[in-house]
Amino acid sequence: MADAAIRTAPVPAEPARFDGVTISLGLPLARWSLRGRNPQELGNALGLPVPGRIGETAGGMACLGPDEWLLRLPEGSIIPMGEGQPLSVVDISDRAITLIVEGDRALDVLSSGCPRDLSKLAVGEARRTVYETVEIVLIREGETRYAVEVWRSFAPWLHLALVTAASHLPE
Amino acid sequence: MSAHRIAGLGRIDRSRTVTFTFDGKAMQGCPGDTLASALLANSVVLMGRSFKYHRPRGLLGAGAEEPNALVSVDRGGGRFTPNLRATAVEIYEGLNVRSQNRWPSLKTDFGAINDRFGRFFPAGFYNKTFMWPRSFWDKLYEPTIRRMAGLGDAPIEADPDVYAATYAHCDVLIVGAGPAGIDAALEACAARKQVILIDEQDELGGGALADPALWPWLESSLNDLAAAPNVTLLSRTTAFGFYHDNFIGAGQRLTDHLAEPGHGPRERLWRIRAGEVILAQGAIERPLVFAGNDVPGVMLASAARTYLVRFGVAVGDRVVLMAVHDSGWRDAFVLARAGMKIAAIVDLRAQVAPDLMAEAAELGVPVEMNSAVIGVSGRHAVTGAEIADSAGGNRHKIVCDAVLMAGGWTPSVHLWSHSKGSLAWSEEWGAYLADKPNENVRCVGACAGKWNYGTGVSIGALPTPDDPATIKAFVDFQNDVTAKDIALAVREGMKSVEHIKRYTTNGMATDQGKTSNLNALQLASGALDRPVQAIGLTTFRPPYTPQTFGMLAGDAKGALFQPTRKTAIDPWAEEHGAVFELVAQWRRARYFPQGGEDMHAAVARECLTVRSGVGIFDASTLGKIEVVGPDAAEFLNRMYTNPWKALEPGRCRYGLLLREDGFITDDGVSARLAPDRFHLTTTTGGAARVLNMMEDYLQTEWPDLDVWLTSTTEQYAVIALQGPKAREVIAPLVSGIDLSSESFPHMAVREGTICGVPTRLFRVSFTGELGFEINVPAAFGRYVWEQVWAAGQAHGITPYGTETMHVLRAEKGYIIVGQDTDGTVTPYDAALDWAVGKKKADFVGKRSLARPDIVAPGRKQLVGLLTDDPAEVLEEGAQIVADPRQPIPMKMIGHVTSSYWSATLGRSVALALVQGGHERMGETLHVPMPGKTIAAKVSGMVFHDPDGSRLNG
Repeated sequence: MADAAIRTAPVPAEPARFDGVTISLGLPLARWSLRGRNPQELGNALGLPVPGRIGETAGGMACLGPDEWLLRLPEGSIIPMGEGQPLSVVDISDRAITLIVEGDRALDVLSSGCPRDLSKLAVGEARRTVYETVEIVLIREGETRYAVEVWRSFAPWLHLALVTAASHLPE
Repeated sequence: MSAHRIAGLGRIDRSRTVTFTFDGKAMQGCPGDTLASALLANSVVLMGRSFKYHRPRGLLGAGAEEPNALVSVDRGGGRFTPNLRATAVEIYEGLNVRSQNRWPSLKTDFGAINDRFGRFFPAGFYNKTFMWPRSFWDKLYEPTIRRMAGLGDAPIEADPDVYAATYAHCDVLIVGAGPAGIDAALEACAARKQVILIDEQDELGGGALADPALWPWLESSLNDLAAAPNVTLLSRTTAFGFYHDNFIGAGQRLTDHLAEPGHGPRERLWRIRAGEVILAQGAIERPLVFAGNDVPGVMLASAARTYLVRFGVAVGDRVVLMAVHDSGWRDAFVLARAGMKIAAIVDLRAQVAPDLMAEAAELGVPVEMNSAVIGVSGRHAVTGAEIADSAGGNRHKIVCDAVLMAGGWTPSVHLWSHSKGSLAWSEEWGAYLADKPNENVRCVGACAGKWNYGTGVSIGALPTPDDPATIKAFVDFQNDVTAKDIALAVREGMKSVEHIKRYTTNGMATDQGKTSNLNALQLASGALDRPVQAIGLTTFRPPYTPQTFGMLAGDAKGALFQPTRKTAIDPWAEEHGAVFELVAQWRRARYFPQGGEDMHAAVARECLTVRSGVGIFDASTLGKIEVVGPDAAEFLNRMYTNPWKALEPGRCRYGLLLREDGFITDDGVSARLAPDRFHLTTTTGGAARVLNMMEDYLQTEWPDLDVWLTSTTEQYAVIALQGPKAREVIAPLVSGIDLSSESFPHMAVREGTICGVPTRLFRVSFTGELGFEINVPAAFGRYVWEQVWAAGQAHGITPYGTETMHVLRAEKGYIIVGQDTDGTVTPYDAALDWAVGKKKADFVGKRSLARPDIVAPGRKQLVGLLTDDPAEVLEEGAQIVADPRQPIPMKMIGHVTSSYWSATLGRSVALALVQGGHERMGETLHVPMPGKTIAAKVSGMVFHDPDGSRLNG
């Protein structure tokens, strides 16, 4: 695999720090979009646990829809591509980047533009949703840590929007 | 001296003074004052000029309903806000306020001549009078009327402020922090619900702020709520709209009350989704309709009480109360007990409760029952009131400096109505009350009609012995609608309240008839001799009070207005001087000028370099869809016009996509990577549309197919390397792929690595030259681009942009969907018959291609156009005629879709849609332009390398 030194990212590598929240670029990941008619078939083909409920995550895999999963693994990971089977495994490692929003006020920053009730998102849950007009996948990785997956070309806008929201938080 | 401050009363902070200016004159108030209370404390009662007649106006109310006292606040540096209600402006050190709709000054307003000629300006006057001549409307009538009539000036400078927005969720949202709202909040808080309590004023408390007996309760309740972790209190926040599914929009004013607004957001838009909404918006007192009811100093009784109790301001020294409702009596008693002289209580009713009579007697207040105020003297301020009994007898005058009106109460059902809750008429209130909810919402307190203000009667206008046609008794203060205007509307045939509203403009001002709707209804009811319920009620719509556009836009301005999508290679292009253009949401490099080149020179150079050597182009924005599954080929076979099942892995095919109506909607080259895996490309602008369309078919028409679609547009950076030297440039960089023409022919795809980065390498061409499209993971796009760029230096490589791409493809007759097609072009019209599988049983749009009008002769067809003068470049969009000597208007038979200077051919080339174009080969057509007509010959669409030999180099 190509060297990390030759990668470019659409947002600054330097974290943006605010009182109560930090917004930073996540590590590069291997990502796949997985599609299939049922979780068991997919699990058998990949040899991985497949969460069955929308929003649930297991082993880096998030169930985004009735027939759709997002698998996020460390960069360089390899999985079976399911050739010839009634399912779809597509490499989307570089389609998105991850913005990490972390801190006591992370929820406030994300709620500035996300219409979901994020306080109801349990740790370990993932949802495809929007921030204003931009589609995101939001994963609550910890009590005050969220991973925001956003398509690469929308990332500068989202980064600016989150930074602006963080700077506009009420006292 | 009329209005003035009274010692020892009110909730203002008397330990400090605040200096502000009104029309340039410096005045003092106290922290806690509104502009309205501070002006009254300075004995200023004249605060504005009316909309139409320019009549002097003072305060009518003390709250959000205020129709008269509209002012402009100028903070300098572009911070200018017109039409603010003085009752809602908090004073701060240095506040600079101007009155509106007057010239040269508030006291001497030349526009007031309208008032003298008021009899000539009845309702509907403008519509009737300024109809003819029609052309005068735009240039003369409308601008003149707009200057004369009106509100404050619109700001002309860019708004320097920033605004914020947020979403919020709660179990219970309570709108209005008066006693009922606070009780509801305490109850929900105790039930451990997540609560948001919002109120439009700076201080929470609503009506309790004007009732000192409630102050201890108010303080302890607010302390409890503020300490509760499950309660959010938002003051200075107006719930302006109630939308579907308990979704409330609210605007929070953050800095308008500060002397130094700072750099933070001025306002915050709250988008609140609530489990339950409790409306505790209270009720608004109704004015009474009588001659002179708009003279400054005539105001609502409840407002006078608020000014006294909350702000420590007496609205006058000798006050007359005109009441048809008990509440006014109680307000007058509060004023009397504070030492204000009540010159008389005038009540239209024959009798009232004995306790009211007793208290009046105890306070020494004269009472005149069965009587009404029939006139008010004074122009800039009240100097007296004329009173008569209800039969018109016993006319007499009372000297006074304020007249209070107690016309009963109108519950504020605005948000209830936004939520589409039904309303029911209440005789007791003389108003509409909330009836059946349409959302999980309920009203409480006065808002629900559950508040004891006492009893009263409802009346459209007070009786008068004078001729109603000669007096001005105002119904809608802000829009200058009088009782006789309502009568006129009825005489002219308006029967529905919706028609009366539009004819008279009653209720159409920025206050949306908060004080006028019910009186207008009563008057119409009387004039039509029909019950109020039969006349209907106009619909309330958001916003409840005027809101700033800035707040509604929130963060969505400047760079955050909408995303500008950029590729991984965009920064390189910027560093290399590219001129950009926007394509859909993307920013793309249009051309790369060198050494002062203009676009023409740069594009000519880029074109020649690609044709003779090699050029590099960022094609990353092309839409890409990965189609995977055992039925992938079957699916594409059904979607596209041409056959896909036999395409071998490793090969590419041009795909043409039609809508069901048979017209071209997209195209692109797609590759079969494996038996069950395709890499599709779409146009840049069509990416999302094509994916949606394909998903739609897959989910609704063919859910049985085992195939899935994944957008990979952003996964890959795409570097197009085009030109006879393209292979030489990448040969040293590519591993694992045999680049020779024999093993890697045109329209093929191979997987390997380039510069150590995995690639899907396409051998395709949109230029007609030998070419490759290098797909690499987007994060490595810039790195690979720079390596190819470096390797190309020895071969004279040039970067080129979309403009050159357009010229090169036009020279080859390759169409651009959306430029050469317009949604009415079939494959046959576009000379793409070859891309339609004649033997296919079906594909999307197939049946439409047999429709009579699709197969009829004379359709517009895509052809080439070569101008007789090779130096003449046609204008895109120019119309085409067959005979330029025909009389105007000429019959237009088509238009130019693409037109460029071709440096390669040394002449212009163009594509055009022309009626029966395919049968006109060699025919000379004409393009009429200003001052000349250009002759051009119809030709085939391929201008360069017609046999395509260069593709296979």
